[in-house]
Amino acid sequence: MSENNPWTEQWFKAQQQFVDAWTDMARSGNAGGASQADLWAKNFDAWRRSFEGRGQPDAEVALRKCMDMGREYFAMAEQVGKLMSQGSNPVDAINQWLEQMKQALGQFTGMPGFNGAAVNDFMKQWFSPSANWQDMVSQLTPMNQAMWQMPGMNTSVFNLGEAIDPLGKILEAPGVGYFREPQEKQQRGLQLALEYQEANYRFNQAFLRVALESIQGFQQRLLGLDSDTMPQSLRELYDLWVEVSETHYAEFAMGEEYQGLYGDMVNKLMTMRKHYSEMTDDFLRALNLPNTREIDTMQERLQQLRRDNFALKREISEIKATLAQLVGKPAAKPAATAKPAAKAAAAKKAPAKKAAVKKSKVTRAKAGA
Amino acid sequence: MENIPFRSDRVVDELVQFNQNLSKGVKNLLDADEISAGVTPREEVYSEDKLKLYRYQPSTGVVQNKIPTLIIYALVNRPYMTDIQENRSTIKGLLDTGQDVYLIDWGYPDRADKYLTLDDYINGYIDRCVDVMRERHGVDKINILGICQGGVFSLCYTTLHQDKVKNLVTMVTPVDCKTPDNMLSHWVQQMDIDAIVDAMGNLPGEMLNWTFLNLKPFQLMGQKYVSMVDIISDEKNVKNFMRMEKWIFDSPDQAGEAFRQFIKDFYQQNKLVEGGLRIGDQEVSLKNLKTPVLNIFAEQDHLVPPDASRALKKLVGSKDYTELSFPGGHIGIYVSGTAQKTVTPAISDWLNARG
Repeated sequence: MSENNPWTEQWFKAQQQFVDAWTDMARSGNAGGASQADLWAKNFDAWRRSFEGRGQPDAEVALRKCMDMGREYFAMAEQVGKLMSQGSNPVDAINQWLEQMKQALGQFTGMPGFNGAAVNDFMKQWFSPSANWQDMVSQLTPMNQAMWQMPGMNTSVFNLGEAIDPLGKILEAPGVGYFREPQEKQQRGLQLALEYQEANYRFNQAFLRVALESIQGFQQRLLGLDSDTMPQSLRELYDLWVEVSETHYAEFAMGEEYQGLYGDMVNKLMTMRKHYSEMTDDFLRALNLPNTREIDTMQERLQQLRRDNFALKREISEIKATLAQLVGKPAAKPAATAKPAAKAAAAKKAPAKKAAVKKSKVTRAKAGA
Repeated sequence: MENIPFRSDRVVDELVQFNQNLSKGVKNLLDADEISAGVTPREEVYSEDKLKLYRYQPSTGVVQNKIPTLIIYALVNRPYMTDIQENRSTIKGLLDTGQDVYLIDWGYPDRADKYLTLDDYINGYIDRCVDVMRERHGVDKINILGICQGGVFSLCYTTLHQDKVKNLVTMVTPVDCKTPDNMLSHWVQQMDIDAIVDAMGNLPGEMLNWTFLNLKPFQLMGQKYVSMVDIISDEKNVKNFMRMEKWIFDSPDQAGEAFRQFIKDFYQQNKLVEGGLRIGDQEVSLKNLKTPVLNIFAEQDHLVPPDASRALKKLVGSKDYTELSFPGGHIGIYVSGTAQKTVTPAISDWLNARG
């Protein structure tokens, strides 16, 4: 990577513009409409992309994460800085910023289908567990993606009452005729998908509530600080916010509510996934193709065969060692033939301690032979 | 709250500095070679399925303990944490203080390994590795050093095979999985483990990553990357950061049946404490474990709280029981400078004193 390429120059130009814009904002309090944090991220991303493929994949991922966090960090600076430049003292500026975040987050309370994705400001970090969960679920349950594209599925039926439930009637319809069984399985699949979405919704709403409480907690924490413990810089303010958020999160995560919500969400996801795997198995069987159930059966049998094989090998070694002793020849591999003490004890129906001592003596005798 | 000293212009200065550090660091990040994992020379002495047993090249000029030591790492994450870089290596520390070190690398289980049980791991893989070492060295007993989940396996193995284990060291090992501060355990109590294994086959590493990162999401998914910008302009720091980053996200899938039994028996039913644990057709009761034990735990461990490890003292039947408390976290106990100076020499002293 050369330091003197056109992209580097462009990046330094962009940086200069960025600094000028910030300085301007700091002086005049005028943000000029556009978010400086977004502009920074946009410029940085464009610059980063020019090097894509030149570094190790792990390094590029780390760089993207730095950039994502940089955007959040800059968003925080921008909001606080803007309020300060408009005349607020730092204390008021921070409080106003926190109030703004509370207000922005509060609008999502009870919002159907809320999963944290729509949170755009600094508080987005509170929903990184949720965002990562969604990403992981997408990877692990490919059928899930297609599922939410179906009419009625993505408009969320939760919290709106049965009257406008677009799927309720379909799911309740009794299966009839020759295709009764497949129809019921499909209905069951949709039902399970809805149940998972509801569980996911409840989990996210609980996160939202705790995120709002954490803002309140942060405000209280700031009030309790004196001149010695007060943050001295933007970074210290950020670190304090992390500390307070982590504490609120830990209290929530160690509570009964979280245990129940999280357990329920995981269980519902797994039940749904298992159901769709079984439906896929049915489909593959109809095509005369091997399916998961059949492969499982083979693997289980194979594993048992391997256990039996090792047990037989051990027995043969022991028999060989015994034979060698009988004909006065040293055993070839005494150590590898030693049986676990507890097994020897069980075989002889003697106390484990006694058997262990006896076995140990035998092994030593063989090793020394 | 009257004295917050920052002003708009200072905020701008901080951001400019952040930006400059990041700009400089991009070069270091993108220039970084592929991160190597594991630095100490070693040879493969045994393999079976995906498992490999390595012996590390002994340090020269050091009086060597005649009893070799087997490191049994967890199935979760990868064992190169114990040898992550030259000046931060538990393995090198052990070699330099006279231990003859072997390590089991479990590899990356796939669907073909779904039916591996704890019995297969403990009375199968581990037992065969122990036998290989006994035979190579012509000894009846070896030393075992079990780490985290590997420590649990080591406790079970040693209890069942005391005729093959001379000394046992457990590091950050969960014994009492229901201490009030155990977040991991708290999360799994209402999980239907059967549903998870039946649905997924093996437990995907991604799920483990999610779980571990969400124990401290603000630090591990946010603050870490903001703080990284402070150090990114130093090439060496970037490499160290990337090594750790690689390890954190290097999560093998967990063999389904072994995962089912591990979570149900240890985390949900706490059988090492409550009793009733069976591995294969044998009961495991720690009161029958008479082998000398050195139990090491980390005081700031957020994955295995110290009390979860300390519980071993009251449960184990050994009269030769020693504890070592380390002032750090679950990872720091292997990679911190303090650990290199205190933990590793203490392990060797303890082992050497027992022959």
